Amino acid sequence: MDKVKVEICCGTACYLLGAVHLMELEAQLPPEMRERVAFEAKSCLGQCENDRLGGAPFVRFNGTEMMSRATPGAVMARLRELLGLEVA
Amino acid sequence: MAEDLFIEMEYAQFTKTGQAACGDDVRLLTVDRENRYIAALSDGLGSGVKAHVLSTMTTTMALRFLQSNIPTLEAVEIIMDSLPVCETRKISYATFSLFDFALGGRAKILEMGNPGYIHLRGTEEIAPVSEERMVSVHWPDRTVRECEVDLRAGDRIILCSDGVTQAGLGERRDMKLGWRRSGVRAFAQERIAAEADISARDLSLEIARRSVNITAGVCRDDVSCLVVYLRHARVGRILTGPAFRRESGAEFASQAGLGEDHVVICGGTTMNILTRELGVEVKISLADMRAAGRLPPVGKVPGVGIATEGILTLSAVLSALEEGRSPEGESPAARAILERLARHDRIEFVVGTKVNESHQDPNIPQDLELRRSVTRRLAAVLEKRYRKEVRVNFY
Repeated sequence: MDKVKVEICCGTACYLLGAVHLMELEAQLPPEMRERVAFEAKSCLGQCENDRLGGAPFVRFNGTEMMSRATPGAVMARLRELLGLEVA
Repeated sequence: MAEDLFIEMEYAQFTKTGQAACGDDVRLLTVDRENRYIAALSDGLGSGVKAHVLSTMTTTMALRFLQSNIPTLEAVEIIMDSLPVCETRKISYATFSLFDFALGGRAKILEMGNPGYIHLRGTEEIAPVSEERMVSVHWPDRTVRECEVDLRAGDRIILCSDGVTQAGLGERRDMKLGWRRSGVRAFAQERIAAEADISARDLSLEIARRSVNITAGVCRDDVSCLVVYLRHARVGRILTGPAFRRESGAEFASQAGLGEDHVVICGGTTMNILTRELGVEVKISLADMRAAGRLPPVGKVPGVGIATEGILTLSAVLSALEEGRSPEGESPAARAILERLARHDRIEFVVGTKVNESHQDPNIPQDLELRRSVTRRLAAVLEKRYRKEVRVNFY
């Protein structure tokens, strides 16, 4: 099964508004998710000036699905959904 | 300065073990109007704070006298007359080596009491064009040696205090007279043979370190080594954008083609412009992501250079430079930029002046500087304190 790809924007605004905590998620994944998720840092996803999408920080799942105002909890919950695991 | 020649003057210094202050002093001066480069290295009598005062007075006065073109003997007499007399030894004393060079002309080297300079062209030692010895009437026991030197592109001049040449003296059977000038020269020749374009910064540090290692890491005396290297300028470039007008993007991005070791892309949007215009991608490894520290991680752009976040990273670089902090303690992104700055002689900033609106978000927990003002301050500190040539182009 393909891994779920999680791209974290590390542009200035995203970083200051919480991406720094999102980058720590990789080390906090529970054992059942560890082999099934691939984290990547991106220098900028280019979304912060796009008002329609809401605010930074931005995270992209599997190259297409954008999440705005991403928090560690929200990213983790979406990952569990995408992996078909029970959402806490 | 001739278009692509650059004088790299760098020194390394270690303080005598157990002393709070270094008794040697090295001072460098660039006189822009005259394309002139002056360096002074002095070893104060004794060690510690007293020696530090003597050597600092000597280098400070020597630089001013040289800059004002005061005749050599007169300058030396004023220096000797001004130094305080040591209570213990009843003499006033500080040795010196002075280097004075205007681009396009010959270099002058003045020495009193220090080990003789070493002039290397590649690995070959070069003799002075002329040499004169002068004795002051006031101070008959001091001899000043004045040499004129033909300095060409690729040449190096090595000046050091006797803490370097006398390393190991009386301590090591294989070096009864210490490392000596000949030992320093042989070591420098060996290093240059192995690495033809070794920088003044690296060579001075290696010579100073080697002299300390001769006595197993203990400094028996203050150690100073200054290397002057006349070379073709090494150009490094920092791109930080975006450009004010979107249509300038292509021209802005075209500035990235200078070679991987010489280019830094600062800023996520800047990187996106390069992706759009040049089709290049940034790669941030998991290891880089984990090691990021207090700044966003540093990535590699194959074929172009390295990429970092923009304003936070540049601000961290600026504060390290202004406060004189060494790169080792900085987050990887700032450290990568600081190390690249150190390796290059001419720094070119390519700066887009468009304001990133997302930086004005009231939720952002800290003030963000404008690229334009950070770049100006970077240029100022690099020129004044680090003797770099800096060019700034706004887009």
